[in-house]
Amino acid sequence: MDRKAPPLKANRRNVLKAGLAVGAAQLAGPFIINARGEEPVKIGLDNPLTGTYAAVGKNELIGCQLAIEQINAKGGILGRHAELVVEDSTSGDSSTAVQKARKLIDRDKVNFLLGNVNSALALAMADVSSEKKVLHIVPGGHTDAVTGATCHWNVFRVCNTTQMEANAVAPALIKNAGKKWYFITPDYAFGHTLQSGLEKAGTRLGYTKLGADLTPLGTTDFSSYLIKAEAAKPDVIIFLTQGDDMINALKQAVQFGLDKRVHLAGAQQELEALEGLPPEARIGTWVFEWYWNQPNVPHVAEFVAAIKKKTGRVPTARTWFGFASTWSCALAANHAKSLDAIKMAKALQGFELPPEVGLMPDKAFYRAGQNQLIGSLFVGNAQAKGSAPDDLFHVAEVVHGKEAAGTLEESGCKMTWPA
Amino acid sequence: MSQLILFNLFNGLIVGAFYALMALGLSLILNLSGVINFAHGGFLALGAYIAYTLMPYVGFWGALLIAPFLTAFLGIIIERLLIRRLYGRDPLYSLLLTFGLAYIFEDVSRYIWGAQSVPFIVPGFLTKPLSNSLFFLTGYRVFMVVLVAIAVAALFYILNRTRLGMRIRAGTMDLETVSTLGVNVRVLRNLNFGLGIFLAGLAGVLAAGLLGLQPTIGTSLIMPSFVAIIVGGLGSLPGTLLGGLLIGVASGLTTVFFPSATEAVMYVMMGLVLLLRPRGLLGEEGRL
Repeated sequence: MDRKAPPLKANRRNVLKAGLAVGAAQLAGPFIINARGEEPVKIGLDNPLTGTYAAVGKNELIGCQLAIEQINAKGGILGRHAELVVEDSTSGDSSTAVQKARKLIDRDKVNFLLGNVNSALALAMADVSSEKKVLHIVPGGHTDAVTGATCHWNVFRVCNTTQMEANAVAPALIKNAGKKWYFITPDYAFGHTLQSGLEKAGTRLGYTKLGADLTPLGTTDFSSYLIKAEAAKPDVIIFLTQGDDMINALKQAVQFGLDKRVHLAGAQQELEALEGLPPEARIGTWVFEWYWNQPNVPHVAEFVAAIKKKTGRVPTARTWFGFASTWSCALAANHAKSLDAIKMAKALQGFELPPEVGLMPDKAFYRAGQNQLIGSLFVGNAQAKGSAPDDLFHVAEVVHGKEAAGTLEESGCKMTWPA
Repeated sequence: MSQLILFNLFNGLIVGAFYALMALGLSLILNLSGVINFAHGGFLALGAYIAYTLMPYVGFWGALLIAPFLTAFLGIIIERLLIRRLYGRDPLYSLLLTFGLAYIFEDVSRYIWGAQSVPFIVPGFLTKPLSNSLFFLTGYRVFMVVLVAIAVAALFYILNRTRLGMRIRAGTMDLETVSTLGVNVRVLRNLNFGLGIFLAGLAGVLAAGLLGLQPTIGTSLIMPSFVAIIVGGLGSLPGTLLGGLLIGVASGLTTVFFPSATEAVMYVMMGLVLLLRPRGLLGEEGRL
């Protein structure tokens, strides 16, 4: 078709509109459609596969997939075939996550809902799942509220609360790095609660807060924050950023030689981030929520081998989150001998994961009245080189989840059950 | 306090220089071809990943030299095969095309190199601060600023002193006349696109040395370039340069007073410029 050419030059209005569109587009993501079988028991995973959390989201997915294979090999859920239905929630758009959760529940008729890495999305999904009365397990969204102030009878969580992580790591931070802290905190639910958790734990131990800067999620350049933090002369700069933000912040801090002047440390650290860092930036005191190198804990080696066979790499805490969440669904149904959400949720109160699923020194159990899994936390130091190429963390101490969790009252969860 | 402000001012210039490098490539393509290249960030990421892949064989310096050329080559091919077809149509078409390309690039990177960040390691002597008090002045950042300066100087030399550059500039002013005078506009646009993508590739390699390298690196860096172009003024390369430096300094200084607004401040600047001087700081009149 031959057309008369419109003006060739793009004008400012179009550029502006385009800029807005590209900004908005970062929130959108493609659909992932999985094949569906006949009358299986369905587990719906609504988790990030694109965006900032794509890497950790995919690791959770791999854990889920391994669990599904094992569940089916052991006779399925109540004798029926188990199937995973996967949706990309995006990394930060709660309306997409909610829409996908509704689609999984209404259209796919899933029996269980899993997700989300992003705490804010996990909370939004929990509203949907509790309205629809579907058993919901949050594999890896940490903010306290999920099993705290806004807890629901049907929402369980595998990863720790930010307060548990803070309680576990604070003594080691004081011991290894000193009492004067400066926070670099990501500006969203997770960062806020992790920082306030550390402040609470630090106050008990007599710390001093020299400052705290909130960084927008997705910050690439941390240099100005680092200049400001250094100027306050703290003993330690506490990095609470996660994922790519963690990598960007630590990489720049080490390039600036800050590790020679102050301690660089934090709370939650993940293998995904350490693998993305140059060796000289793998430093500092942190807490891991699960670690693959646990030579004396039974079944861990088999799990590591199974994941390595699938992906060629060792499992991360995220892989285990996905694995334990999916297994929890099967265990709940088989234990309750029913797919009724209320019966299954009751069956999980105080339920202890079997050792081949728990995979940690402490017995991991869902605390009754809060639905929070309580197991072990691994406090130690990042290391440039360990016993194996993937051994980037030295576990100095295993903290018992029971000691880090505080009391049920402290969690703020007041659970109400449907009549 | 004054030292903190001075540090952040200086640091902001370094960051801004980098924004400017990305924005210049984007601006070049926009000026001559009228294409708002959404895929610029995707090309940037590809440049970085190509360098990452080449590094074990040719080292950092070899990769720094080769990767931008390979990226530019890829840009030239994509321009010939896809983008060229949409010149002269409503800008919406090329917008949608480059928008789609950006997604394809991101997912291809994820497929080939994985969703997880990969460690991009630059030579050790570059990653050390030059002095103890000005610790944010690392060898790498100085090197980056020098390289940006060279690239900008070379770009302005090409545009002002070479035949190709003069044609590009003339085409920017009035493409139809240039075409009537016997210049092959297709080749001109093709080479110009390649030049813009070369800058994206170079920015990608430099960024990977500073940040984590993951498939989303392009998307997260592209917004400041758009803002730099609008603040600096559409159609003006010096304006784009100025815009880049300004938003770098502005976000640096904001950190001192109101850290959670460091990203927002550039949009505030954009809003102010649009209200008070809609054509941008150095933009030409009439390109609204």
